[in-house]
Amino acid sequence: MATDTSFSRRLARREFRSSKDARLSVGSSVMKIISSTSVESLLTAEEDFLEYLSFLSTVALNALLRAGAVDPGNVKLLQHFNESFHGLWELISASYKTLKQSHEQNLALDTDELYLLQQAPGFVHIFKEYFESVTDFMVVKGFDRAAKQASSYWKSNKKVLRQMIKDTSDGPVHVLLQRVFIDPFRNHVQHYTLFLSNLTEDSEAEPLSDVLNTFVELQRHISQILDEASQTKILWSQISNKLTLALCHPERRLQEDSRNVPVAVANGRYERVLLFNDMLVFLQGHESKSFDLKTVWVDSTVKQKSEPNNYLLRIITPEDEVVLCAKEPQCQGLWLWKINQLIRQVLNGSRDYPLWGKAGEVTNPPTCRFSTYTFRNEGRFKEATYEGDMSWGKPHGKGTLKWADGRNHVGDFKFGQEDGFGICLIPNSSQDRYDCYKCHWRSGSMEGYGICEYADESVYKGYFKDNMRHGFGILECGAPDTNPFKYTGNWDRDKRSGYGVWESKNKGERYIGMWLNNNRHGPAIILTDSGACYQGIFNSNKMVGTGILLSEDSTMYEGEFTEDRLMAGKGKLTFSNGFTLVGTFNRNASLGLHTQGVLNTTSAHEDETTKRKFQLGAELFPVEERWNGIFEPFLKFLESGCQGETEEFFLGFHVKSSKKLQKSQEYLYCERDKDEVSGKIEDIIKEISVFQKQEDLQLYLEKAFKSSHHPFKKLLKILLLVYQATYSGVGANLHLLSMAQEEIKYYGKKLLEFCRALLATAGERNGHRNCILDEDEEMSDTWAYTLILPLILPRFHPDLFMLYMLYHEQEDGFYWQGIIRLGHLTDTKLLEFLDVQKQLWPLKDVKLTTNQRYSIVRHKCFHSATECLQKIITTVDPKEKLEIILKTYSEIERTVSRVVDKDYKLPMDDLLPLLIYVVSRAGIQHLGAEINFIRDLMDPSNRGGIYDFLLTALESCYEHIQKEEIRHYTC
Amino acid sequence: MAIRELKVCLLGDTGVGKSSIVSRFVQDHFDHNISPTIGASFMTKTVPSGNELHKFLIWDTAGQERFHSLAPMYYRGSAAAVIVYDITKQDTFHTLKKWVKELKEHGPENIVMAIAGNKCDLSDTREVTMKDAREYAESIGAIVVETSAKNAINVEELFQGISRRIPPLDPHENGSNGAMKLGRQSFQSTTRCC
Repeated sequence: MATDTSFSRRLARREFRSSKDARLSVGSSVMKIISSTSVESLLTAEEDFLEYLSFLSTVALNALLRAGAVDPGNVKLLQHFNESFHGLWELISASYKTLKQSHEQNLALDTDELYLLQQAPGFVHIFKEYFESVTDFMVVKGFDRAAKQASSYWKSNKKVLRQMIKDTSDGPVHVLLQRVFIDPFRNHVQHYTLFLSNLTEDSEAEPLSDVLNTFVELQRHISQILDEASQTKILWSQISNKLTLALCHPERRLQEDSRNVPVAVANGRYERVLLFNDMLVFLQGHESKSFDLKTVWVDSTVKQKSEPNNYLLRIITPEDEVVLCAKEPQCQGLWLWKINQLIRQVLNGSRDYPLWGKAGEVTNPPTCRFSTYTFRNEGRFKEATYEGDMSWGKPHGKGTLKWADGRNHVGDFKFGQEDGFGICLIPNSSQDRYDCYKCHWRSGSMEGYGICEYADESVYKGYFKDNMRHGFGILECGAPDTNPFKYTGNWDRDKRSGYGVWESKNKGERYIGMWLNNNRHGPAIILTDSGACYQGIFNSNKMVGTGILLSEDSTMYEGEFTEDRLMAGKGKLTFSNGFTLVGTFNRNASLGLHTQGVLNTTSAHEDETTKRKFQLGAELFPVEERWNGIFEPFLKFLESGCQGETEEFFLGFHVKSSKKLQKSQEYLYCERDKDEVSGKIEDIIKEISVFQKQEDLQLYLEKAFKSSHHPFKKLLKILLLVYQATYSGVGANLHLLSMAQEEIKYYGKKLLEFCRALLATAGERNGHRNCILDEDEEMSDTWAYTLILPLILPRFHPDLFMLYMLYHEQEDGFYWQGIIRLGHLTDTKLLEFLDVQKQLWPLKDVKLTTNQRYSIVRHKCFHSATECLQKIITTVDPKEKLEIILKTYSEIERTVSRVVDKDYKLPMDDLLPLLIYVVSRAGIQHLGAEINFIRDLMDPSNRGGIYDFLLTALESCYEHIQKEEIRHYTC
Repeated sequence: MAIRELKVCLLGDTGVGKSSIVSRFVQDHFDHNISPTIGASFMTKTVPSGNELHKFLIWDTAGQERFHSLAPMYYRGSAAAVIVYDITKQDTFHTLKKWVKELKEHGPENIVMAIAGNKCDLSDTREVTMKDAREYAESIGAIVVETSAKNAINVEELFQGISRRIPPLDPHENGSNGAMKLGRQSFQSTTRCC
């Protein structure tokens, strides 16, 4: 027989292992000799039980397996049953083997050599499992069906069965069948307990009583298991077939029944409540509604005002709520306790051991738990499956929500809604691709800063509100097959609205101006790659009324246009030479542009210059309103008290570029850059709150503007983006200079404002005011120029300076001609030409060899001053540039003082020619651009003062060099 | 006491002693705050006037004829102009008149003009009479004094005269006459053409 051979094989294996175990345990602490009579009794019991098992296997188990194989639903159960049966058999055989061995050798047995004691946990485990598999089979009426299936076999063996359990009554076959698999097993456990308790009586040794306790516990557990099983089995036969079919499950056990411990469902929605080990079920007629205990929360704090004598339990599930009413507080208490214990057990994934009865030690389940739930009710979440932290029936914490259509949200949840940072993938209907939103959510919709990568490869980076783009944002569409564009500007409910810059990449055209409902609407400037620019009013994407066209050759047209920006109608043309033409312009397919009008050839020079350098946009788009969408969230963040967790929501998050990523990886083995300051708002506030002096703040800001995680740097980065979107590329147009420099100064002011607010917040938190920046209200602007601008200007300088260069192109050209002309002159010739008093000529500086004459020396006089002035281009900070000019002056004065051998105070009559000399020798390119850059961006409080004077002196030199008499001077 | 910064530009032919007058004015009194200067080209001095302090920011200009055209850069934004001539040289008085004319046409509105007939210590070789100067000054509404930078005559008075002519600061109006209150200007951001 197959079972017999396997039995012997197992026996052999067991033997080997047990002997090894025994060897290992030699020398253990407890030594207690067991009397041979007790050993003998145990040996007999094991022998009898083994015999029984073998017999049972032959008579009943094999038949059961054969009969059960017919019913596919039972196959698995029976398999498990069979396995646990054999597991048990093996265990008993091993126990028997070791006992017999020692008994035969007549060795005295130590307690710790006893297999039963050595392997106590194994015994407990195997018996537990056996009873579980038996009851699983039992509750689904496995025995009943097996009895029916092979009724003739059983009938013939009924007597044998009855003998096996020494029963005299005439019970039905299925009851007998059940009992032969249960009763002797229980008895055997009992036998163990008795044996152990006899042993314990003789000795007080702790390990022994521990083992005894485990077997007592096992006994209790077994009877509870059997109890639960029979209760459950009874239930399945009581309720209707339909309900049984729906609810019956081998591992499901009835834990409580409202018919047993009475509770009613409020509003009479259901007539009966059943609590199982894995779910809570409400019955109404033949209908049932069940709730997975993993997603059930019980609240016992509710009270009903109308009926204060009712004791209520609120059952909370993700999509349903049921209130249980009990008349007695004990009933309420029992249900509450049982439900909570079962929830805890189901969350742990295992039942308690023993099932009940450790009341004092157990805890309630956590309110916040990791669960999975699929929503069924109508609504946003229908058919979506949530997996993650839940609390009181709602997604709360971190989790993933997957919709049936492929939509997927991973992130933070609060009270059942997406809230906090989250990444959401939304399938795009047209393509097999996704829109990917990485952004902040509030109460289920996108709000705050976010990045969206759309399925069509366009990318939006900016602010959201109510799931729509709202506030400042950049939308870039790079798909080559469509019309690639980039919009940098304001949004209102998903539509372009307010100030914004649009760049069509194919056409090379840029629209800077107002939008409404995605349309160009309001005042605007259009720059084309041909260098022409328009200023006009738009209405629903069409240009209306009069406008201005500035062509690259500086011809200006003021007048009427067609919708497509063609000159048509009344207008005035001002040519670059100053001639004007006033008339009516027409466009005709064959003739092109033709006109009738009055040509004025008396050009007013001044008028011509203002037209040539006409500044666009400054009064159309007040600088305070242009980028409000960027500053506002920052301000709100400051106003909201700078809470760390809201920082990204307001200020956006730091996205590492690949270059940065590389850098961050370098950190793995390099020391972290010491210049980085923390970007965490708490750290920032802590750090700045101790500043005493302005220098501290200055040093800090210097680092802050370089630290990629710092809010100031993030803001600066966005400002740089919008600045470049407007003024670089096609935007590098001299007609935008006024707008551009105004904008940068405004950035400085805003940053100063934020700096102040941060200091104030830091002060509030520490209870003392920080007064670094608040000396005098009237100084407010000065700080922007002296503290902020020098720090941010380097980033903007290339683009801004380009505008200055374009603006001063012509003057710089004349100036350069002058410089070249004067460059031909020798030092003495130049000094003479500039009418510098002979006594001031620093000819001592010139060392001549015998053959040289003064008249051929070049670039020797005032060498130190010349070199000094040349340094003006090494910095972008206006203040530093002014200091260089001042130093240049001191160098001139030093040289002169040396020449005349006394302190010589230079009056302007002497200084100006000397300065012209130095400027012409220094040969700084784009000096006009430099001068005007300094003048526009220097601290305005310098006006009228020493720096202003020197700058004016320098400017007058620049002017002078441009003059005809210089440019065309011939020696 | 509020400090008002007043930009003053010096105009006049080369050699009339423009910067000497200012050097005298600035040096005569011991100044607690040693202000930075650019040789004799840029000097400052603070004097009390009524209940204000007037800080003169004095800008010298080059008197050479060839630099005449650069002067507007210096006098723009000035509250006052001191135009100097040499009483011993009729030519210089003639140049002065040209300056006055230019200031009237292109100078800042309401600019206070002060005429200084320098070198009055050399009245022996006088070519311009006091009477002529006074009549001319009256005709254009300017202050006039004869000074001697060498002997420190009337230098102080010249600037006192200017101070008196500067209207007191109206708190609601911000220096329409080119006077500037310390550190506070509505900075015109429009870019100038050169």
